[in-house]
Amino acid sequence: MSTPAPKLSPALDAMVEKGLFDRLPVTFSTFFFEQIQEWALLFPAEKNYYERLFGFLDRSDPAAVERLFTGVRAAERKLGVTDQNWPKRTFTLQQVDFLNRSPNYPEWRKAIADVFAQLDPILDAEVSRHGRSRLVVVLSPQELPVGPDRLWARIANHGKRVSVDPPPDDADYLPLLLTGKPSAARAQALTDILAAHSGSPPYAAWFVETGDRLVSLPSHLGVVRLSYQRLANYRARLMKEVQHVVDSGQIRGPRELGSRLKQLKIGVDESELVKDPVLAEFARATLLSGNGTLLINNTFVEWATIQAIRRARPVLTVISYGIRNKVKPFSSLLIYADQDTTTPIPTQGDMLGSYVDLEIFHQYIWQEFGKYPEYRGNTAFLFVAQGTDEMLAIGPPDFPLLNAAAPLRLENVFGTLKEWLAL
Amino acid sequence: MPFGLTKRAFLRLAGLSIAPKVLPSWLTQQMLRAETVGKRSGSRVIIVTFGGGVRYSETFSPDGLRNIPRLTAMRPEGYFFKSCSNQGVLSHFNSTASILTGNWQRVDDFGFQPPSGPTLFEYYRKAVKAGAMDAWIIATNKSFANMGASGDRAWGSPYGANVALPKQLLIDAVKEVVRKRQGDGVANRENVLHQLEGILSEGYEGVGWTIFKGGHDLDQHVRDTLTHALIDYINGPDTPASGDELTFFIAREVMREFAPRLMLVNFWDMDVAHWGSYSLYLQAVTRTDRLTGMLWDEVQTNPHYKDNTTVLILPELGRDGDMNAANGFLNHRSGDASCRNMWMLAMGHGISPGETERPVHHIDVAATAAELLGVKADGLAGQPAREIL
Repeated sequence: MSTPAPKLSPALDAMVEKGLFDRLPVTFSTFFFEQIQEWALLFPAEKNYYERLFGFLDRSDPAAVERLFTGVRAAERKLGVTDQNWPKRTFTLQQVDFLNRSPNYPEWRKAIADVFAQLDPILDAEVSRHGRSRLVVVLSPQELPVGPDRLWARIANHGKRVSVDPPPDDADYLPLLLTGKPSAARAQALTDILAAHSGSPPYAAWFVETGDRLVSLPSHLGVVRLSYQRLANYRARLMKEVQHVVDSGQIRGPRELGSRLKQLKIGVDESELVKDPVLAEFARATLLSGNGTLLINNTFVEWATIQAIRRARPVLTVISYGIRNKVKPFSSLLIYADQDTTTPIPTQGDMLGSYVDLEIFHQYIWQEFGKYPEYRGNTAFLFVAQGTDEMLAIGPPDFPLLNAAAPLRLENVFGTLKEWLAL
Repeated sequence: MPFGLTKRAFLRLAGLSIAPKVLPSWLTQQMLRAETVGKRSGSRVIIVTFGGGVRYSETFSPDGLRNIPRLTAMRPEGYFFKSCSNQGVLSHFNSTASILTGNWQRVDDFGFQPPSGPTLFEYYRKAVKAGAMDAWIIATNKSFANMGASGDRAWGSPYGANVALPKQLLIDAVKEVVRKRQGDGVANRENVLHQLEGILSEGYEGVGWTIFKGGHDLDQHVRDTLTHALIDYINGPDTPASGDELTFFIAREVMREFAPRLMLVNFWDMDVAHWGSYSLYLQAVTRTDRLTGMLWDEVQTNPHYKDNTTVLILPELGRDGDMNAANGFLNHRSGDASCRNMWMLAMGHGISPGETERPVHHIDVAATAAELLGVKADGLAGQPAREIL
């Protein structure tokens, strides 16, 4: 007779049982209580965070904890929080609406921010003590209508433009950069090497891309491979369902739509991600809770990356953007319709628009990594425009590419990145 | 000749050209009465919102000016409020309802409830006994169907504004063309136009509009007016893919045919930012700038509006800032300064050019408009902007 999987970790379960969550302000505790309910679908980094957060509150002096939450309790009184409008261990859309519509909402938000301003340095210090080198590689599509001198303009002053020596055969550009060998060698990519490395945590290496440039590389099973293109069947089904729900007029807004679609999980024939429940849920949530992720390839890549950073804290992240399609006259108003079938007007890529879109996404991605202690002071970024002779390197002073002088061969860049990750 | 006028459209246009001559006398009298009541007789107010939300950084910041060439050119002629903030709920419906009611609104975010107190339209129509054609909302956002009047029993729809939602009309038409799969489908503008006309002829309610009908003649006049706008839109020089373009054409036609003294025009295309395309968002900002400029041109050339109209232009809300928020321009939920702090540009008759750092708020718009219209409106939390009165 098999034992059902525990709902929470033993440590958190014990904290819940002894009433820790009930002692904390209800607007704080219920949010987290809700977050940990689907424990089995959380990434290890998330589980670790929740255990550290509530472990710290549990072992702290109760009086100090009470002082920490003084502002939140005051804000809750002003909000008019009661057992009726905010039952214990309940955090639903009703509570979200309750907060959003209250004139005291900004005050509550500030009080919550003040709590984390005190908690974060303590929790972050624990993470920083166990820090390691990390790497982010961001690839721009070859079709962008500008040279590298006009790329990464929003962040270039944080790093150094590095000259590289492109290979004669452009098809070897990415393989040389990511595997150190030409395409024909079918060599292991950095992501494979990391995933196979002893002591490497699960979900440490990620490919996130619009097409299949990266997922078609030979890859270790431990590498997370997320491709907008390879999720096409799942996306098509989701869009159809969204359209149906919207047309039927049975929903009152995006939030209800979200909860309605929460059950639309990836089918077995829709993606290999279905084999991993954590990743399958990650893909579902990314496509259904992210703005425009169903509709625009680069938005999917950006939002999936943001979510991966927040939730999984990858050691190595390789991000590859593409060209988004032009918006078509009239049919584009039917946002959840398949644009290839609703109009005879041929689909065209929007090169200039994609360039503008990516410039701001580069900034957002770079900033997002910097928000978390796992990445501060030890993360190297390499922004790459395939086929060109220049890259942008950002990183700590000891990142070797920041001191590169002569144009580098891509296999040497690979070697430097491998060394940076201590692989 | 796919983009040319059909015979039917031509006849309709010809009919419209003589429509003012055959307006029923009761409507003419109604319009005249509206002209002569109130402390500031003849004053008109048009509120133009950059709906969907736009940040200072893409508009009146030094880097943003390139996106709004028309407003930049208009600013020296108007009065510019450098700080106009939205301190309410940062959803579209609540933001615009706050502008129109003069009180911070906390109703359903998606428009399933009407504003919780009388709107400017109700104050105005009740005070001056204005007719139904004297107050209009032309909005791109479908959820604004309930924006025209509050649920207050003493006020409400008898004094509310007509609400036209052009984009919804367009979406329904396109959906039908796609469903029928006729010929070139949506690639042929005529197909879309025929469908648009068909929906209009079946009634407005199906697309969520509220048009107060005053009898068959008036209803026909409204339909003809809207159809005229559709023809202009479909046959315009630009690819008619934007809901805001149609909003503009319908607003302009309503101005020409009914000359309402109070009107809200809510543009919306820039909410495409939620899709995560910064370039599409910037294009929409520039389009709204252009359409707002064209509305201002209409005010200056239309004899009903020239020299007696104040146009108040402001963003409905901002969007999250790049630095600290969840995902920057994509959202408007952080409540940071980029979400709340915006601007307002007042243009028009009697306004001395200038600008002020003095902070004003969204809820001050209704109070200001009420003063401009010479209407007493009690119970507004907002204060009139004295700088333009």
